[in-house]
Amino acid sequence: MSDGPKKTISKITKGFAKHGYICSDQISTAVYLASELEKPILIEGPPGVGKTELANTAAMYFKKELIRLQCYEGLDESKALYEWRYGKQLLYTQILKEQMQEVLEGAKGLKESLGRLMKFEDIFFSEDFLETRPLLKALSSDKGSVLLIDEVDKSDEEFEALLLEILSEFQISIPELGVREAKVKPLVMLTSNNSREIGDALKRRCLHLYIPFPDAKLERQIVQARVPEISESMQIQLVNFVQGIRELDLKKQPAISETIDWAKTLILLNSEELDANLAEETLNILLKHQQDIEVVKKEIPALISSATETSDGKSIN
Amino acid sequence: MEKVLTDFVKALRNSNVRVSPAETLDAMSVIDEVGYDDRELLKRSLSIVLPKTPDEKQKFETCFDDFFTDEIKEQVPVALKELKDIEDVKSDLAKTLLEGSQAELMISIADAAEASEIREIRYFTQRSVFTRRILEKMGVGKLEDELMQIGSLREEDIPTDLEQELRNQLTGLRERVSDYVQQQFLLHGDVSGEQLREQVFKSMNMAQIDRSYLHEVHSLVRRMAKKLANLHSRRKKNYRRGKLDIRKTIRENWVNQGVLFNLSWSYKKVDRPKIYVICDVSGSVGAYARFMLMFLFSLTEVVSKLRAFVFSSNLGEVTDEFKDSNLDSAIESALQKHGGGSTDYGQALTDFVSLCIDEIDKKTTVVILGDARNNFGPEKAHLMKIINERSKQVFWLNPEGKYRWDTGDSVMTTYSAYCTKVFQCGNIEQLERVISTLLKTAI
Repeated sequence: MSDGPKKTISKITKGFAKHGYICSDQISTAVYLASELEKPILIEGPPGVGKTELANTAAMYFKKELIRLQCYEGLDESKALYEWRYGKQLLYTQILKEQMQEVLEGAKGLKESLGRLMKFEDIFFSEDFLETRPLLKALSSDKGSVLLIDEVDKSDEEFEALLLEILSEFQISIPELGVREAKVKPLVMLTSNNSREIGDALKRRCLHLYIPFPDAKLERQIVQARVPEISESMQIQLVNFVQGIRELDLKKQPAISETIDWAKTLILLNSEELDANLAEETLNILLKHQQDIEVVKKEIPALISSATETSDGKSIN
Repeated sequence: MEKVLTDFVKALRNSNVRVSPAETLDAMSVIDEVGYDDRELLKRSLSIVLPKTPDEKQKFETCFDDFFTDEIKEQVPVALKELKDIEDVKSDLAKTLLEGSQAELMISIADAAEASEIREIRYFTQRSVFTRRILEKMGVGKLEDELMQIGSLREEDIPTDLEQELRNQLTGLRERVSDYVQQQFLLHGDVSGEQLREQVFKSMNMAQIDRSYLHEVHSLVRRMAKKLANLHSRRKKNYRRGKLDIRKTIRENWVNQGVLFNLSWSYKKVDRPKIYVICDVSGSVGAYARFMLMFLFSLTEVVSKLRAFVFSSNLGEVTDEFKDSNLDSAIESALQKHGGGSTDYGQALTDFVSLCIDEIDKKTTVVILGDARNNFGPEKAHLMKIINERSKQVFWLNPEGKYRWDTGDSVMTTYSAYCTKVFQCGNIEQLERVISTLLKTAI
C-alpha cells in the first residue's frame, strides 16, 4: 500500500469491481481515506443504493471478517457491547459452593474468612463469563475486522453517545475489567437512511460519504456486473427507462437494487425488447407504492420512446 | 500551506457549511495523505471530511471551485527601472511604489485594510467603498497631487519616464487593492447574501414578506422546526409496568445473593407530542394565512401525531392533504377550500368540539392560530372552556400586535381566559420562541 494515493484508489475500484461492486471514484476515495486515516465512515443515501453492500465488499476486499450490528429502537449496551453470562455465573456459584466451604474451613471469624476469599481473583467477572457482542467482538478481533453498524438512525440518541468512545478512541470501558483497547483497529462503516438527523458529535468523528442514485453510465456498469446475461440493447433501454422514472415526482424512487431485480425479471421472462406492455406488467418490481405505479403508468409510452431512442442514437459509453 | 486550508475552511463557514476545528484537523491529515497536486483528488477527499450533509456537499463544490481558482493567481513581479530623478518624489506612497519590495507593498496594503476595518465587509456592494478607503489610507491622494504637479511642471507633451512609471504603478496598485478586497470579501463577507436575507426575514412581519420568498422562508421555518423537534421529541420515561427485564433484574440484584428484591422493567414509553392545530384562514387574516399555513405545514412535517384544521366559518381537516402533497399545493388547496370567507369562531369551535373532543385527552396540546376577530358573532367561549379542561394545554398564537387585541371585533381577552398561554406571533423570531415552548411543554 505504499503506492501513491491515486494508484491505491484505482486499485480499490478494481478490487471492488472484482467482487461485483462497481463504485464511483468518490466511494473508493472514501474507502481509501478511511483505511489510511483509520477513521469510521458514515454512509448516507437513499435506500437501495448499496450502502450495506459496500461494507460487505470492503470486508471481502480487505479479507477481513465482517461484523454486523443492526440498529433498532431500544438497542442498548447489553446487546451491542457486552454482557455478563448471568446464567453461567449463577450455575457456577451453586457448583462451587462446596469448594468455598473447603476454602473457608477452619477460618475463625468473619475477618479471616474474608481474608482467605480475598486471595482469589475476581473469578466471576472475568473473560470466561463475558459474552461479547458485536462492538466488543470487533475490537478484540486479532486480524482486524470490518464493523458495519447498519442504520444508525434507527437507534436512540443514547446509543449514539455510546458509540462515541468506540469511534474516536477504538476502546471500550467495561467497569469490571477496565478499558479494552482494539488489538487491530477495525474499519468501521455506519449507514443511515436519514430517518432522523444524526448528532453532530457523531458526524464530527466520521468521514461522511453520500451515495446518490448513480448516473446512467455507472448504473449500466452495475447492471452489467450483476446481471451479465442481459443483452446490451436491453440493458441500455432498461437503465434509460429507470433513469427517466427517477425524474418523475414519486413517493419512493426506484433504487439500484430494484433496477437489478427488474433486469433479472426481464431475463426470466425471456424478453429481448422493452415494450409498453411488458413494462406495465412488471412495474410493481420497480415501484413499491400504488400511487407511484399509477403516476408512472401514464408516462410509460413517453419513457419507452425516449429510452429506445437514446439507445439507438447514441453509442454505449 | 496550512494557511490555505484554514482560509478555505473560513470561506466554507461563510457559505454556511459547518466545520468544526476537529474536522479542520482531519482535513489537514487528509491533505498530508493526498497532497495538493491533484485537484480532483483533493476535492473528492476534502468533500468526504468537511461537509456532512448532501446540502453542504453542494455548497462545498461551488466553494471549492471558487476558492481554488482564486488562489492560483500569479503575482506579477514589478520591474524597477533605473530612474534618474527618483529622489525628486516626495510622497511616501510613491517611494514605496518605486523602491519598496513586493512584500513591503503587500504589508502596507494589509495595514491600510486593517485600518479601514476590512473585516466588517458584508455585502458585495461594499467592495468599491473599501477599495477606495484603503487607497486613501495608503495616501493615493498625495500621490495624485504630486503627479499633477509633475505634469504641470513639464514643458513637452510627452510624460517623463518617472511620471509614466508612477502612473503604471498606480494602476497596478488599484488592481491589487481591488483583488485584495475581493479576496477578503470572499472570506469575511456574506457571499451568497443568505445570512442577510435570513436575518431580515426573521424580524420582518410575516404579512409583509413577499410571496415569492415563500420557499426560502419555508426552509428557514422548517429547519427551525426540525431542530426543535429533534431536541424535544425523543425523551423517554421509564414506567413501572410492562415487560420484566430479567437480565437487568438479575444484574441489579446480584448484590442480594440473587434474591430478586428490585425489579426492573424493560418497557419504555416514547412520549411524543399529540398536537391539534386550528388555523384561521378567513379574510381578516388574509395576509397572514399563507404563513400560518406554512407554519402548520412545517409542523406536520416534523411532528407525527398532529392533526391540522382550517376554517373561515366551517371547520375542515387538512391533515392528510398536508402530509401527502407539497407546500404549494397544500397551501393553495387549503385556501381554496376554506379560505377567504368571513370569520366565525363560534361555528369553528362547535365543529371542532363535535369532531374530535373525544380524542382530546390530558396529553393533547391544542394550538389555535388566529386574530380572534369574530365579526361580532357569538363567541361560544364555553366551548373553549371545555377544550381547555379536557386538554393538557391550549395555546393561542395571534399574528396581530398586542396593542390591536380587543380593538374592533377582536375578542382576544374572552378567549385568552381559557388559554394556557397566549403568544403574539407576527414574525419568524417570535414563531421560533413559540415552537420551542410548544415542543418543550407538549411532551
